[in-house]
Amino acid sequence: MTPFAGFGHQLRFVLRLDRVRGSVWFAAMIGVVLASALSVLSLYGTVAERQIYAQVATADAALKAIAGPGYGLAAAEPTEGAVVMNEVEMYTYVAFALMSVFMLVRHTRAEEDGDRAELVRAAPIGRLAPLAAAGTWVALLNVVIGIGLAIAMTVVGLPVAGSIAFAAAGVGLGLVFVGITAVTAQVASSARSARSTASATLGAFFILRAVGDIGSGRLSWLSPLGWAQSVRPYADERWWVLGLLLATAVALFGAAVTLSARRDLGAGILPQRPGRTEASPRLDGPLALALRLQRGSVIGWGVGMLISGYFLGLIADQADQLAENDAVAQILDQAGQGSITESYLATMMLMMAIIATGYTVSSMLRPRGEERDGRASPVLATPVGRRRWLFDHAAVAAGGTFLIMALCGLGAGIGYATSTGDAGQVLPLLASALTMVSPMLVLGAFAAALIGVRPGWSAIAWAGVAVVAVIGYLGETLNLPQWARDVSPFTHVPLVPAVPFDLLPVALLAAVTVALAGVAAVGISHRDIG
Amino acid sequence: MTTAISLEGVVKTFGSTQALDGLDLEVRTGEVHAYLGPNGAGKSVTIRILLGLIRQDRGRVELLGGDPWRDAVALHRRLAYVPGDVSLWPNLSGGEIIDYFARLRGDLDTRRRDDLIERFELDPRKRASTYSKGNRQKVALVTALSSSAELIILDEPTSGLDPLMETIFQDCIREMASEGRTILLSSHILAEVEKLCDRVTIIRQGRAVQSGTLSDLRTTTRTSMTVSTDEPITGLEDLEGVHSFRRDVDHVHFEVDDPAIAEVMRHLAGLGIRSLVSRPPTLEELFLREYGDEPVDG
Repeated sequence: MTPFAGFGHQLRFVLRLDRVRGSVWFAAMIGVVLASALSVLSLYGTVAERQIYAQVATADAALKAIAGPGYGLAAAEPTEGAVVMNEVEMYTYVAFALMSVFMLVRHTRAEEDGDRAELVRAAPIGRLAPLAAAGTWVALLNVVIGIGLAIAMTVVGLPVAGSIAFAAAGVGLGLVFVGITAVTAQVASSARSARSTASATLGAFFILRAVGDIGSGRLSWLSPLGWAQSVRPYADERWWVLGLLLATAVALFGAAVTLSARRDLGAGILPQRPGRTEASPRLDGPLALALRLQRGSVIGWGVGMLISGYFLGLIADQADQLAENDAVAQILDQAGQGSITESYLATMMLMMAIIATGYTVSSMLRPRGEERDGRASPVLATPVGRRRWLFDHAAVAAGGTFLIMALCGLGAGIGYATSTGDAGQVLPLLASALTMVSPMLVLGAFAAALIGVRPGWSAIAWAGVAVVAVIGYLGETLNLPQWARDVSPFTHVPLVPAVPFDLLPVALLAAVTVALAGVAAVGISHRDIG
Repeated sequence: MTTAISLEGVVKTFGSTQALDGLDLEVRTGEVHAYLGPNGAGKSVTIRILLGLIRQDRGRVELLGGDPWRDAVALHRRLAYVPGDVSLWPNLSGGEIIDYFARLRGDLDTRRRDDLIERFELDPRKRASTYSKGNRQKVALVTALSSSAELIILDEPTSGLDPLMETIFQDCIREMASEGRTILLSSHILAEVEKLCDRVTIIRQGRAVQSGTLSDLRTTTRTSMTVSTDEPITGLEDLEGVHSFRRDVDHVHFEVDDPAIAEVMRHLAGLGIRSLVSRPPTLEELFLREYGDEPVDG
């Protein structure tokens, strides 16, 4: 039988599974980009407004780190397209990449973990057909969203060529991540580790290009995110870069297919060492088990946050140099009460905290996974109470959140000290990072409350993360009203070190956390364990 | 005689599905009690109620003298449980998982554990993700059987074991029974139950349809016989209590209500019996009678 036999059946099958999910990605991505573009167009309708925007944007290190080099902003009369790109381009690319990671793992490694792949492989289906079908489907979804995006951008009045270039760069990056994820799905030994390895790769690419964009730009060429931006939509498009993205995607997917043909179903490429004959004496309760199960992910996040913090701190002193123009410095100063460097660092810390909320929520949702997979019942059939079981997991989620944020603050402080020789920012940045823990815990407690009261809906906790990310990253771009921004707990937290620490909002957020934890405790004690 | 488990008129509904519909169940202290029923009859739901994982909508439940929902933690010190579908942490080794559960119960007997690991031929160093269904089941069995719990609840514990391991499992259950422990064994494997159990409760569609010792159940039923004689057999099919009479080339087959056996034997004695095979009804036949013509998994 040929290795691709049954490809058509398999493709129709995954299409059937993803009717809803695919539509949600399509609607959410096009909806958010479209709304952002419309908002930017109304905010910066005149050339004069765009000139002021361009002056600030090219001088603001925080904006450069988040948004990129801002191609076309340096022109005497920046176009609408250039401003829109500076506001929405990076998020769009990141969304394409994340969609590819989640969708591809779902149809490859996750199927093997769930033993369903065995059923499929036992049918007259070629060995490589499931991977090929999954890759084809996710690539197709990328292309469909890309077409929708190009049409949407054209409809709001932006030039056709730029709109196509923008959408094509997004699709190109999405395809690169189809390739990267296809490889991690072969190398990793579980869906979780395939997903986190691919996401960590995205994080590394983001940091590479953030550092590159603030500096000389050379580092950005090591990152496919940097390539996608180098297509320069609406700013003298460089079409050939798309070829680079496509070639990389094809090479990676080819590598994944080769790896897949060489390994056993359900196994990873990385070998598994034999385990212990007896448990370590420390493995003596649900807390110890939760720690043991999450050790890897806490270490991974901790290292990632430390390195990211280091680089963001390292380039902080360039914030001042970028803003040497006095007029621009004044505008930036109005944003916060502190210096330009301080407001840059505070903004970065906020952005990192929103990303790290992904850890908090995924860690807090672990007990739900334990319950769904049938591992909670045997534990709860021992003398372990339900509340203790849930709160031991919560303790690991909260402790891990403190730890990775402390590492992020520490990294930023050390990075800053490395480039300026001034170690005086280490403690303020640590304080800044730890202040950010309070809104993160609100989202974690929200996840716990869902587990307590409506376990079937606990995935809504991820919608919470999506909402705070949109408010945090796109609040300005979308010109959201204040009441809408107030929905996010991150809106209320003081941006140390740009503003002084304020206990009241932090205490209020802690009170909300405690209230949600109370709901979780009552809920878990009264419901059926499923 | 004290009671370890007692349920009276227990009702449990999930949405529009009636899982338990007035269930009665009584397990006496120190007995091996079989809990029999086809898939979907409500066996696992009953066990989840006994473990305090879910709460009944109506009815009275008592476990070891307490309320399984209210006193869950205290009661769980005294029981061990083997789930039907064993799911383990993929990154932990079997040995780690066995020790973890023992410590949760505060009850780690290393000698007993090592003995069971050896008897079940389990490799405790392998990670759970590489275990087969049978090996996952062995981990759960070693966990429960190495405990000193006074009540052991097993939910279809042998569905993934090979016949050799099943024999070892039966030996272990007999040993535990001889120590005076109470065992609730849910199963749809009738042969296994027949060999081990003192008493049986049969559940169907959320209700107990029969309960008693195996011989109790059998007296209410029939014995199967296959006979061949020198003289032709006549008139037997007309006797009171003879059913399903069927004639072969040189044998006759029939079922007879147990009270009518004496009369049948008198009738056959004068005909010169050459061979006679008599068999008590298997639980399969009890089952079939209970469930009539409906498919067993209905």
